[in-house]
Amino acid sequence: MFELLFQYPRAVFSKGEFVLMGGWPRWLLPLLIVAGAGLIAWLIRSRLKDAAEGVRTGWRPAVLWALQSSLLAALLTLLWQPAILVSTLKPQQNIVAVLIDDSKSMAIADEGAPRLQRAKETLSGGLLAALEKKFQTRVYRVSDTLERVAKPETLEAKSGSTHLADGLKRVAAESAGLPLGAVVLLSDGADNAGGIDLETVTELRTRHVPVHAIGYGRTVPEKDLEIVDAQTSVRALADSRLAMRVTFRQNGLTGRRGKLVLRESGKVLASRDLTLGAEGSRLRETLTFNAGGAGAKALQVAFEQVDGDTNAKNNSTARLLNVDNAKPRVLYLEGEPRWEYKFIRRALENDKNVQLVTVLRTTQNKIYRQGTDGPKELEDGFPDKVDDLFRYQAIVLGSVEAAYLNTRQQELLKVFVDRRGGGLLLLGGRASLSEGGWNRSAMAELLPTVLPDRKETFVRDPANVELAPAGIESLITRLTENPAANAERWKKLPYLADYQDAGTPKPGAAVLASMNPGGKGLMPLLITQNYGRGRTAILATGGTWRWQMSQPVEDQTHEMFWQQLLRWLSADTPGRMLASTPRPMLLDDGKVKLTADVRDKSYLASADARVEARIIGPEATGATIEMTPDPVNPGIYTAEWNAEKQGSYIAEISAKRGEEEMGKDTVAFQRQDGMAENFHSEQNVELLTRLAEQTGGRYWKPADVAKLPQEIDYSGAGITVRETRDLWNMPAVFLVLIGLRAAEWLLRRRWGIV
Amino acid sequence: MRRNASILLLLTLAGATVLVGQRGRRSFFDEEDTPAPMPSDAGVKSEYTFARLRYPSSRSGYWRGGSWATDYPKADRQFVQGVRRLTRLHTKSVEQVVDIDTDMMFDYPWMYATEVGHWELSDKQAAKLRDYLLRGGFIMTDDFHGTYEWDVFLQGIQKVFQDRPIVDLEDREAIFNVIYRLTDRPQVAGIQMFYSGRSYERDGVEARWRGIFDDKGRVMVAICHNMDLGDAWEWADLPQYPENLASAAYRVGVNYIVYAMSH
Repeated sequence: MFELLFQYPRAVFSKGEFVLMGGWPRWLLPLLIVAGAGLIAWLIRSRLKDAAEGVRTGWRPAVLWALQSSLLAALLTLLWQPAILVSTLKPQQNIVAVLIDDSKSMAIADEGAPRLQRAKETLSGGLLAALEKKFQTRVYRVSDTLERVAKPETLEAKSGSTHLADGLKRVAAESAGLPLGAVVLLSDGADNAGGIDLETVTELRTRHVPVHAIGYGRTVPEKDLEIVDAQTSVRALADSRLAMRVTFRQNGLTGRRGKLVLRESGKVLASRDLTLGAEGSRLRETLTFNAGGAGAKALQVAFEQVDGDTNAKNNSTARLLNVDNAKPRVLYLEGEPRWEYKFIRRALENDKNVQLVTVLRTTQNKIYRQGTDGPKELEDGFPDKVDDLFRYQAIVLGSVEAAYLNTRQQELLKVFVDRRGGGLLLLGGRASLSEGGWNRSAMAELLPTVLPDRKETFVRDPANVELAPAGIESLITRLTENPAANAERWKKLPYLADYQDAGTPKPGAAVLASMNPGGKGLMPLLITQNYGRGRTAILATGGTWRWQMSQPVEDQTHEMFWQQLLRWLSADTPGRMLASTPRPMLLDDGKVKLTADVRDKSYLASADARVEARIIGPEATGATIEMTPDPVNPGIYTAEWNAEKQGSYIAEISAKRGEEEMGKDTVAFQRQDGMAENFHSEQNVELLTRLAEQTGGRYWKPADVAKLPQEIDYSGAGITVRETRDLWNMPAVFLVLIGLRAAEWLLRRRWGIV
Repeated sequence: MRRNASILLLLTLAGATVLVGQRGRRSFFDEEDTPAPMPSDAGVKSEYTFARLRYPSSRSGYWRGGSWATDYPKADRQFVQGVRRLTRLHTKSVEQVVDIDTDMMFDYPWMYATEVGHWELSDKQAAKLRDYLLRGGFIMTDDFHGTYEWDVFLQGIQKVFQDRPIVDLEDREAIFNVIYRLTDRPQVAGIQMFYSGRSYERDGVEARWRGIFDDKGRVMVAICHNMDLGDAWEWADLPQYPENLASAAYRVGVNYIVYAMSH
C-alpha cells in the first residue's frame, strides 16, 4: 500500500534526502506561497463582503482560505521539482552477511517446527536467492563462535551458548575493508553472554552497517517454569543463617504445585512446597539455610515435581558460597551495668563464630573487661589508636555519653566505619543517642537517623514491638522461616523494658523493626544503613533482655536475634585484602575477571603492592597470574583468565609490599557447560529490536522478509550510487491535489458559496 | 467528734498519698520488719531494683511476718544507697518485694532471699525458681545459720535443682573480683553479736561462701551461709556496728549485683 501511494519503498524516504531540483531560487518558493496565500485571503474577503452574516464572518472563510492556499502551495512546490536523493547499493558489488543462530535454544519447536528449521525455511523460501541476486552473500553460523558455512541447510542447533555480540564484532572485523552492505541475523535473540554491548553497536554504527534481525520463537513460553535468578551471599561466616532469594516465572502452569529445594552436595538444606501463582510475572521465594562449616560450597536450587513443565532444564541453577572460618571480633562498650549487657553477652556465648569483647564501666574509675585475648587488651579502655581499634570488625556502644570518647576516638570511629568498612551499632539507654549528646557529636553523620535535638528521649516504660516492611526480608529480624509467621512472632514478643526516640530515619536507611509504646504510635526500633565501606545501626532500646527473661528457657528468640544482628554488623567487614569476581558462575564461558582491593594497615588504598592470584581448578588445572593495578582506582588490582575446563575453581589471591604480607583472600568460581541455553529461551524481541534500531536496520517477522532485500538496497553502507527519485509523479500527490479541490467544492456547495 | 473525723480524713489522705507514690509497687508495709522512711524519689524508674523474694516459711505462719521479711525494708533501702554511691548502676531508691507465686520475678533478674533456712517451697514454686534461674536470673541468699537451717535450705534448693552441686566459691571467682577484690572476707555478724557476744549463730561457726553454677560456669545462686549481710546493711548507720563488717557487706552485695549484671 505504501509503495502504491508513494511509488518507492519506505526506506527511500527514511534514508534519502529531500531536495528541490528546479532551477529557480529556493527562497522564492516560500515567498510566492506567502504572497499567494495573502492574495487568496484578499480575494475571499472582497468577494464575500456582500454575503450573509454567517458566511462572511466566522470560521468558514478561513477554511476556504486554508484549502485554496494549501492547493497553491502544493502546486508551487511541484513547479520546483521535488525529489529524493538516495544512496543505493551497487548490484553485486556489496556483501551481505547472513548470520544463523545455531545454539541449542534454536532447537526448541515452540511454533510447530524447530526454530532453526524455520530459519532455514526462511532462507530457502526465497530470501537467500533474492539476496544473492543483488549482493554477494556470505552465510555464517553464530552461537559460541562465528563460522562461515557453505550449506546452511546442514546446520544443527547444538551449540551450548550464544554470543551474538562476539559474532557481530567478528563479522565487522572480517569484512573490514570490504563493502559490507548489511547484516541479516536469523536468531531467537536468546543471548547468554550479557547481551549486545555498546562497543559492538558503536562499531556497526560507525561503518553504517545495518543489522536486520529476523526473530524466531514464541515471545512467551507455553508451559514453562524458569528460575530467573537466585541470590545469596557470596561469602559468609561458618554456621551463619543465610537466605537464598529465588526469582522465577511461569507460563501456563498457574495453580500447579511444585517443590523448591536447596541442596549442597546432594544434601537438602531447605525446601518449601509451593503453588504456582500469577502467570508471566516474576515471583520470589526465600529459603533460609545454615551455611555450615568452612569451605567453598556449590549450592543447587531447583524446582522439582512440577507437572506439565515443558522444559525442566531451566528449573535449577547453581550458586557458589565461600564459608570463612574467620571469627570476627565485636567490641561492646557499655557505660553502666545494665541487664541488656548481661543478656547480650549470654546470647553471644553460643555463637562460636563471633568473639564478643566487652568493656563495662562499673564505677566512675573502673572498667571491667570480658572476652579479651589477654590481660593487655583494652587495659586502657576504649582504643585511641588505629591499630588497636582496627583489630575489631564491629563496635557496639551501649549507654555511653559522647563525651566519654575524646575527639580522636570519635574520629577514629568514623574512619573505622567509612574506610575500614566496620559495623557500628548504638543501643538505646539513659546516656545513649540524644541523651548522651551523640546528636551533636562528630559521629552524628554516621548514624542512620537524624537524632532528636532534645533530651528526655529515653523512657523506662514498656513498648511492644513489630516487624517493619523492610524487616520482612532481612536476615537480622528473621526469627522463623515463614515470613507471615515471622511477622506474627514479632508481634507476640514480650514487650521491651524501655524505649528511646531515635529520631527520623535518614534517606537510604532501613527501618527493620518498630515499637509501639502504648498510645504514642509507632517509633523506629531497629534502623540500619550502609555508610562508606561499612554499616551502622541503631537499636533504640536497652530492654530486649525481657525477651530472654519472659519466655521459656528453651526459647531461642533473644539469642537468635542478637547473633544475627552482630553477625550482620561484623561479617562483611573486609580485611586488608578483599578478592571478588563479578560472575562466580560461568555458564558455557570460561572468561573470569578477578578483582582485589588492597589496603595498607590504616586501610588506605595501596597502589604499590604486588598482587598474585593462584588459581586451582579441576583435574590439576590452574595457573599463577599477576594482577595489574587499575589505572583509575588506586588499590584495585584486576586480572582476566580463562577457565577452560568445566568444574570448580578457587583463586587464592595474596598481596605483598616488599617483604610485608598485606593479606590473603580466596574467591571461588565455577564453570558449567550446557546450561546457558536452557534459560531465557523464549524469543528476545527486545534485544533483536534494539540491535536493529541502533544500527539502522529493522526487526522482521519471518513472514515479512520478502521486502528485506529491497530495504537493504538503501542501507547506505558499502559501495553505493546516488540516485535521484522524482516525487511529483507520486500518486499520493495527485490524490492530495484532487482532495483539496474536491473538499473546497463540496464545502462551497454545502454553505451556498458558489 | 469533729476532731476525730478530721484526723481520720487526714490519715486516709496520707495513706492514699503513700499509695500513689508507690504506684507500680505492691506494698507490704504491714509486713515490715524494720520500718524505714520512704525516699522522695521512690517513684523514679531505674535499671536496677533491689528485689526481695517473698516466699512461704515455717516461721510465724505462712505469709504474714514470714522469714522473708527479715530486716525489711531498712536493710534494702540503706544498701541501695551504697550501690548508688559506689557504682555507676542506675539504682532505684526503694526495694521491690517479689512474690514467688507471681511472674513478677522475671522482671527482676537479681533477687535477695533472706532467712532461707526457714523457707518451705512447694514443687510449683521450686519449678518457677528453676525457670527463673535458667533463663538468666540470679538469687543471693543470706542470713541462715548452722546445720539445721542449712538442711532446711537444702530441702528447698534441691527441689529447684536436684542434680546441681553446691560448691564453695573460690577467691578467684569473678564474683569476688568484678569490682572489689574480696579475697579476705570476714564473717559478717548479725546484730545478735551485741547480746550473744559471738559473731556466729547456732552452730554456724564458720562463714561459708557457696554457690550453684549454671552449665556455662556462671554462679546463679550465691549462698551466704553462717553470716548476716542483711543486718550489716540494716545497721550500718548504728555507731556501735563494726565499720569493717558493714563495708564488707556492702562490697559483697555490690559485687554480687554487678556480677549478676555482667555474667
